[in-house]
Amino acid sequence: MEKARPLWANPLQFVFACISYAVGLGNVWRFPYLCQMYGGGSFLVPYIIMLIVEGMPLLYLELAVGQRMRQGSIGAWRTISPYLGGVGLASMVVSFFLSTYYNIINAWAFWYLFHSFQDPLPWSVCPLNDNHTGYDQECEKASSTQYFWYRKTLNISPSIQDSGRVQWEPALCLILAWLVVYLCILRGTESTGKVVYFTALLPYCVLIIYLVRGLTLHGATNGLAYMFTPKLEQLANPKAWINAATQIFFSLGLGFGSLIAFASYNEPSNNCQKHAIIVSLINSSTSVFASIVTFSIYGFKATFNYESCLNKVILLLTNSFDLEDGFLTASNLEQVKSYLESTFPGKYSEVLPQMKNCSLQSELATAVQGTGLSFIVYTEAIKNMEVSQLWSALYFFMLLMLGIGSMLGNTAAILTPLTDNKVISSHLPKEAISGLVCFVNCVIGLVFTMEAGNYWFDIFNEYAATLSLLLIVLVETIAVCYVYGLRRFESDLKAMTGRALNWYWKAMWAGVSPLLIISLFVFYLSDYILTGTLQYQAWDASQGQLVTKDYPPYALAIIGLLVASSIMCIPLVALGTFIMRCLKRGDTPPVA
Amino acid sequence: MYWSKGISHVLLCNVTQRVSFWFVVTDPSKNHTLPAVEIQSAIRMNRNRINNAFFLNDQTLEFLKIPSTLAPPTDPSVPIWIIIFSVIFCIVIVAVLLLILSGIRQRRRKSKGASEVDGTEDKCENMITIENGIPCDPLDTKGGHINDAFMTEDERLTPL
Repeated sequence: MEKARPLWANPLQFVFACISYAVGLGNVWRFPYLCQMYGGGSFLVPYIIMLIVEGMPLLYLELAVGQRMRQGSIGAWRTISPYLGGVGLASMVVSFFLSTYYNIINAWAFWYLFHSFQDPLPWSVCPLNDNHTGYDQECEKASSTQYFWYRKTLNISPSIQDSGRVQWEPALCLILAWLVVYLCILRGTESTGKVVYFTALLPYCVLIIYLVRGLTLHGATNGLAYMFTPKLEQLANPKAWINAATQIFFSLGLGFGSLIAFASYNEPSNNCQKHAIIVSLINSSTSVFASIVTFSIYGFKATFNYESCLNKVILLLTNSFDLEDGFLTASNLEQVKSYLESTFPGKYSEVLPQMKNCSLQSELATAVQGTGLSFIVYTEAIKNMEVSQLWSALYFFMLLMLGIGSMLGNTAAILTPLTDNKVISSHLPKEAISGLVCFVNCVIGLVFTMEAGNYWFDIFNEYAATLSLLLIVLVETIAVCYVYGLRRFESDLKAMTGRALNWYWKAMWAGVSPLLIISLFVFYLSDYILTGTLQYQAWDASQGQLVTKDYPPYALAIIGLLVASSIMCIPLVALGTFIMRCLKRGDTPPVA
Repeated sequence: MYWSKGISHVLLCNVTQRVSFWFVVTDPSKNHTLPAVEIQSAIRMNRNRINNAFFLNDQTLEFLKIPSTLAPPTDPSVPIWIIIFSVIFCIVIVAVLLLILSGIRQRRRKSKGASEVDGTEDKCENMITIENGIPCDPLDTKGGHINDAFMTEDERLTPL
């Protein structure tokens, strides 16, 4: 008796699963950075164009393939063409790399969440030095939030060569993160389908709360004005367009096999075109929404820092010139400074080197992305809010939901091909397969909890998925349009869903999207080749800031291995299938 | 000890616009001013009392050349984060075990039912499945409604 394929309990679960997978940390910590770097409000123009031209068609393609083939990535591509099973295998390898390093972010989110229940917040004060007369050296040079991130959380080493030992605190949090992921994927779609209600909806609740709080903060309007003032000259910058295309591509999570896996659990008559449009629109609007929140928080932080800087200057001048308390204010500071300069030139020139030049613009211009945004900049803003424990706990809870939602998709991409495979699923129950995958990933993930772990994390983050995914999606599009045949696929979809395929999708799949991906691929390759040796940012404890260093040769070798191991699957499997077929044809004589 | 001798001979000099003052402490019996080092250590020990007398704190009342001794942060014996971590960890482990066990139980029940079904199929067609002496309903009632109007005697003997 054939066991029926598990299905989503209702189409809403499928949509929530896709949203929960696509809306991830990149929407929160990469898009605001790109928006700031490439012209604020005017970045939305290339972003929306790329969404319509690249994001929606490719998303629809993947969902349609998954729904039609009703198998995980390996089976689906093997059905399209026996030589293309390698595409599915490459997707699985990339998903494996991603899930290995992605869950450490959840571990860090857990760490910060658990530390949010203290008063005062541990990252708001510097620890004291040995004789209790001042603060710790490293903390003074950097800031308290940077110190907490680099020293207390990561205990980072000065370079990638000094690996150090596994830190037990982040290792415990990593084990907990993997247990939580295992709990969610344990029963397959039955459990995942229920969890995605939370992982998809709760982040929006927190974002709305933060939006209200953020907009009412003092100085939020400075940040918003800074972000949304369009710098139209950036539209001519090709980097803006390339980054918009890249952001759409990676933000939707194309090419990992997760979308194919999710869609394979659909009813065949499901209207995946509607769902593709809904998911991509929600993903992009969440990015914009999250950047509004981020920039109001940036504005608050910049204004707070600017006013503290002004207060320090006022205190310094009041102390040096024995002025009356309260005489110097922010409004008359410049006049008094010029008066003092003219009246007491000698003393003023002594004091001048200690006076910092306070500028609101330079505070706003600090653009940060990635873990630095969430764990350093946001925590700095949160510590100055009232009831900071509540805001901190809410924020890291939201990060957790976003991260776990994406992890569900990643693990689904790995597990679906494994459970589809008859050999494996007949020997092991699916709980055991999921448990084994989680265990292996957890053990490998312990590498990222070592002292140099954050450097390895950066390597995986930058190189494990980028080039390979572009190639995988390119091969996918070409496979569906030209190997399987666009007409055949169109009639399949019509038979399956009952709706004819719009000419727009056909034009995009056959022409525009592959061209776009090829140009992105060429750009990335040329960028890597032109920059020559690859470099990374290392934390220097003595200076309290990041310094640039070169990667050692073995790290470069590992980067090459990461990229090659997924890309090579495609030609190797094709070659292997070809050889097997030749051998089989050679062995058995053709039947009359 | 020295303060109890009383305050006298307050001299105003070097008037500035700020609220600031210099002071010396003299010992009238020996008629000499006490060295600054002793006064500084005395102030360090009694900083809290002096601050409170002026309703000020270390940030608003500064003694030049006397760095304030900062209060060390309170360190609980068990860090708070470990407590919260252990609670969440135990909850997750219990939930995982519950799900695994219920999955195993479900599978055992299904395989028992399936083996009985397989045994019937091997035997002759007109056999009815009997569990505990009660004939089993061949229809899977999940999502289906049994219309009793169509239930006849013969149907009970219909093979699966």
